Amino acid sequence: MLLIRAIIRPEKVSLVLSELLAAGFPACTKMDVFGRGRQKGVRVGDVYYDEIPKEMLLYVVNDEDKDTVVRIIMKNARTGENGNFGDGRIFTSPVEDAYTISTGSRGL
Amino acid sequence: MAFIRLNKIKPTKDALADVGFPYYTCRKCLGRGKKPVDQSSLRPVCETGTDILSYSTPDSSLELTRLIPKRFFTLIVEDEDVQLVVDTIIAANKTGNPGDGKIFILPILESYRVRNGVRQTHQ
Repeated sequence: MLLIRAIIRPEKVSLVLSELLAAGFPACTKMDVFGRGRQKGVRVGDVYYDEIPKEMLLYVVNDEDKDTVVRIIMKNARTGENGNFGDGRIFTSPVEDAYTISTGSRGL
Repeated sequence: MAFIRLNKIKPTKDALADVGFPYYTCRKCLGRGKKPVDQSSLRPVCETGTDILSYSTPDSSLELTRLIPKRFFTLIVEDEDVQLVVDTIIAANKTGNPGDGKIFILPILESYRVRNGVRQTHQ
């Protein structure tokens, strides 16, 4: 199992969520986050924005579904044809175990 | 890492403190599970004025991507305590209905204490 943490533009969340739902990945968690990337924030005129609001999506998927989910997020969270700075990052990390509270059963 | 119902935060905190794990990090989050959200069960709550949907941003209120507010609970424990903590969280949160939440176990490689820089490895 893998945890996929995707930090994406807030305006792209709805599209990514509906595309992943359509692809059979309904379970997810979303939270508001603030951060900056390698471009050290953005400068608009004289105003410097150090922390840019983003949305973080958490998905826990089986190993074999990782590429599908990453591809869908990447395709839908991108702006323009070739993408732009600030479109976000996707991180994956291993998950050792999962439990469902309502049944107490192990696994996804 | 656990995702639990908002109204179960206090019982979970108390239950964990009782078995010796008073420390945790938690935050608000929105999410959805495997099962589609039952709109009919939400409606009475909305009508009585409870602000269950006040966390929802306009785009998440679309029928398709409706997300439910949950509490995201993070707790770092030693390997041998994992089972105890999982059992405690399940016992405190179980209502038997879908939507009770999910627990994920992630490996932690090392930790540092900011106060004095002490490093701890967890393998």
